Amino acid sequence: MMKIYFELNGEPVYTEIKPGEMLLDLLRRLGMKSVKEGCRTGECGACTVLLDGKPIRSCLTFAAKAKGHRITTLEGLGTPEDPHPLQEAFLEAGAVQCGFCTPGMILVAYHLLSHNPDPSPDEVRAAISGNLCRCTGYVKIVDAVLTAARWKREGKWRKER
Amino acid sequence: MAIKRYHYARDVEEALSLLLAYEGRGALVAGGVDVARGLPGEIEGLIDITAAGLSGISREGGRLVVGATATLEGIRTSREVKAYMGGFLSEVMGHVATLSLRNMATLGGAVVSAHPWADIPTALIALGAEAVWRNEERTERAPVEELYARPFRAIFRRAVLTEIRLPAWDGAFAFEKLSRNAGDIALVNCACGLGLDAEGKIAWARVAVGATPYRAERLVAVEELLAGEVPSEALWEEAGHRAAAEARVGDDMRASAEWRRAVIPVIVRRALERAGRAVMGDR
Repeated sequence: MMKIYFELNGEPVYTEIKPGEMLLDLLRRLGMKSVKEGCRTGECGACTVLLDGKPIRSCLTFAAKAKGHRITTLEGLGTPEDPHPLQEAFLEAGAVQCGFCTPGMILVAYHLLSHNPDPSPDEVRAAISGNLCRCTGYVKIVDAVLTAARWKREGKWRKER
Repeated sequence: MAIKRYHYARDVEEALSLLLAYEGRGALVAGGVDVARGLPGEIEGLIDITAAGLSGISREGGRLVVGATATLEGIRTSREVKAYMGGFLSEVMGHVATLSLRNMATLGGAVVSAHPWADIPTALIALGAEAVWRNEERTERAPVEELYARPFRAIFRRAVLTEIRLPAWDGAFAFEKLSRNAGDIALVNCACGLGLDAEGKIAWARVAVGATPYRAERLVAVEELLAGEVPSEALWEEAGHRAAAEARVGDDMRASAEWRRAVIPVIVRRALERAGRAVMGDR
């Protein structure tokens, strides 16, 4: 076992990990159940989290790599009581069916909108192209991201955590 | 996985001494993408080299020097890389996997893993890229193409790849890939480069085809066919057919040898057309 320090959704974490443990397993052990195990081969994007603000695959990232870095999961964006505008946009657009891909979709969308608040539909498609949805297709997901982007430009993102 | 220790190497010397001390039971980790997917059972120690000072990207004259742990997305978006050979390498990176994997995967990892289906080896072989590595005795270097003709997996069990050096070419390169969708691996890929002499004839040509499904190879016969000729649609066509005749192709779960032989003329022609337009636009 080894001890690492990192920042999880803005809070300091000092925890024991196994040296060969994957970040996906560590985050779920810490209660971050939005982080999903889909394929564990880096194909599906369900395990996406942000490392220092950039999307990565937590299923192929050694937990030890979190040491000294900032990790953001969906729990860090919003809660059921206080959802993030992206979560509200996904609900409004009906962009959720089973919900398994949704955390990863929202995190890559969050990353896109953090540096491009006015994306074209093609730019949204490119941003989510590494995240697979097996229920609904992608039309409503793209709509949701475009809606959230419009809200952001209109100053309706009340706060940023 | 029976990993007992995870080390954070502070420099190349520390990484190398740890790797040697493990005597085959240690593995270097950069992005970790390939290590995590296929770790042999005997590995006990992981040696993280992402903070070992190997992530730099710089220009040396017309050349480009990329550190082994520079991420693929870092390379794709680098100003230095966009300024090298008309942004050719940046364009290639855009074809590789998806953003969240490119944020992790490194150029050194791509060179060492050398997946036969990968796009990066094809581009590096066409470019005449040189790999630089440190072993117990000294710093060694070799063209990536030559490295792959050697027992490179054994070499990197006892060495640290430090950087990839890309030469300056007076001309232009283009990359083409056929895949089932934008995020998928290649069914076949190719990289072609051309330079013109003062009379407008082809002074040099570089042609590499990969994912056939074998690792990329240069097609020297095609390069020789092109050299000394005047660029034309008919020449690109002829070179494409010659490439299909020369390339070693095979069947795998994704495509048949017959299909690959049928499409190689098309992607080679497209790459030569684009490289030709770019190099003639320079004049």
